[in-house]
Amino acid sequence: MHFLRPRPVRSSLKFSTLWSRQLSQHAQGRLETEDDWTDFQQTRTSLKTLMDGMSQYGSEQTSQWSLRDSLHRPAKDATLSALLASGAHFGHAASRMNPNFLPYAYGTRAGITLIDLDHTLPLLRRAAKVVRAVAANDGQIVFIGTRTDIRPVVQKAAQRLGAQGFHVGDRWLPGTLTNKWQMFGHETVRSKRIIPDLVILLNPLQNMNAIQECALSNVPTIAIVDSNVDPRIVMYPIPANDESPRTAEIIAGVLSIAGREGISIREAEMQRIRMAVDTAWEDFHKMQEVQSEPYTVDSRPRDSNAVDFDY
Amino acid sequence: MNVLRSQVCSILRRPIYRQIASVTRPFIPPAQLVFHDTLLEPGAKELDDSTVEALEDETDRRELEDDEFDPNDDRDKPHPDSPNFYSCRSSYYDNIVELQTAISRTRGTLQRLHLLPLPEFARKSLKPMPTVWKTPEEMTTDFETTMTISRYRRVTALLNELNEYLRIATTAGYADVADKIGSIISIFESGKKEAFLSRGIRKLVQLDQHGRSYTFGKRKTSSARVWMIPVKASSLQLNYDVNVEEALGLSDKPKRPPVNVTVSTILINNLPIAEYFPQPVDRERIVRPLKLAGVLGKYNVFTIVRGGGTTGQSGAIAHGIAKGIFAHEPETGTVLKRAKLLRRDPRMVERKKTGLAKARKRYTWVKR
Repeated sequence: MHFLRPRPVRSSLKFSTLWSRQLSQHAQGRLETEDDWTDFQQTRTSLKTLMDGMSQYGSEQTSQWSLRDSLHRPAKDATLSALLASGAHFGHAASRMNPNFLPYAYGTRAGITLIDLDHTLPLLRRAAKVVRAVAANDGQIVFIGTRTDIRPVVQKAAQRLGAQGFHVGDRWLPGTLTNKWQMFGHETVRSKRIIPDLVILLNPLQNMNAIQECALSNVPTIAIVDSNVDPRIVMYPIPANDESPRTAEIIAGVLSIAGREGISIREAEMQRIRMAVDTAWEDFHKMQEVQSEPYTVDSRPRDSNAVDFDY
Repeated sequence: MNVLRSQVCSILRRPIYRQIASVTRPFIPPAQLVFHDTLLEPGAKELDDSTVEALEDETDRRELEDDEFDPNDDRDKPHPDSPNFYSCRSSYYDNIVELQTAISRTRGTLQRLHLLPLPEFARKSLKPMPTVWKTPEEMTTDFETTMTISRYRRVTALLNELNEYLRIATTAGYADVADKIGSIISIFESGKKEAFLSRGIRKLVQLDQHGRSYTFGKRKTSSARVWMIPVKASSLQLNYDVNVEEALGLSDKPKRPPVNVTVSTILINNLPIAEYFPQPVDRERIVRPLKLAGVLGKYNVFTIVRGGGTTGQSGAIAHGIAKGIFAHEPETGTVLKRAKLLRRDPRMVERKKTGLAKARKRYTWVKR
């Protein structure tokens, strides 16, 4: 019965029939030769070109936002609205709230603790400063996020820091830092830097081993603490929802971009020092040349206004 | 951490000083204790500064041992190579990341070429590309990490996805993309791929220089070696198809063209078929494949058969003849397969079991 089927919008109906008509021509037979495949590709290309050409006559789209932007193109600074939109203010059950978390709690609603984002933002900025400073001093930074949904987040964050960035997406093996001789072997421990300079945890409750090892090895830590976690377990806690991947993307994005800035500051500083050293050497060489020339009357620097005296 | 403290600690850790070391004194067997009378003055409980300095210099000159490793020296060392270093399985995760980046890049390329997403009819037209991946044991040696089942499944899932993209690229004719994917996939492919894929495939029977086929047939405990050669059509041909009415021109039916039938011979152990198999059942069994394929008088058959009895030997010869016909004329394959003549009949004599009179026959049941 026609009227029971959902009717598509008039304008797109014509388009969809055009598409299905073109495709059904191919649907009758299989694509046997390479020419068949080329024709198939050309049909699709022509349709896409048509759609791209027609799109400029539609309404103007001002928003360029894409769903993958939060992972691949995160913001440099987190805003209150972005954190709220990602659900960073949702804590765990009020009955499970850690008493040491009270300063960061806004209140309770529907049985869960709400996190005060007015505390989160400055603490996030403080953590970003730490990351920037560590990266600017050629420090090794490790991102730990051991859930499947935040694995790509830590991978991307470590990529932004280049050679100084590392990540652990699966289980943190106990003894990585405290039992390094056995874990990595004598050659690696002697030749490479093993103990990191900063560790950032996106799910600290599942990685208490890592936090313990960092404490024993004197490594500063930053972590996203939820309402059921004691914020004192890490040096720089960031009170936020640890279960939301979007929150993790925002926070890891802010921290990794700060780290990238630190690396570029270091690069600029090294460049400046190199330039200064080079110019200093050039001046030194010039001075040497001037001094090596024998002093004669004619070699004195001549002033155009000076009157020549006959001695 | 105090820089000097580490040096002092390293000295205190040496056996000489352990007796005057800190409160927590580790146990050292007496044989390892070295007591230098010259160093320690009588009655003195501590060493004086000059001796300490001299020993410090000696420590600096000596090669650092494991328990004298100074973590403060880390600053000058290079960073570890892999970003997966702290997972302690860097080679495995590096491979995973490499495969994932290859997949995402290939997906992007194929989307730009409008080959992805592929509709159903196009997917059916893809060339089949069966592959055999390395075994978990082989991968363990390659990647230097124990390949557990979950890790192996993760790797093979990514490899299968990459193989799908390879199929699309090769079928659509993009050789450069296919080569790039192929180079990555070849690292993970088993060396025994050809052997594995060709298992169970029947070897093609070759005809020799005289045009003979040599095939083998088996049934029960008999085995037959069968040679078949096409009969040469000679000038003298017997035409049995004679109808008297037609010859005299009295029939209403239209005149059929004469069919020339050649005569063939079947020799078994150098004896003609009628002599070797007096029973018509056996002869019928042997001739059946020729009849079904429609080549009754076309081939001369020479057989050597050994083992078993009449049924087994006739069945073995029939099997050999069917294979021979397939070697000469592959078009007859469908007919012979439908009739199950190309199949080696697996039925063998079942063994007698203990407690039974024969293979299945039970002894008479007695109530008491």
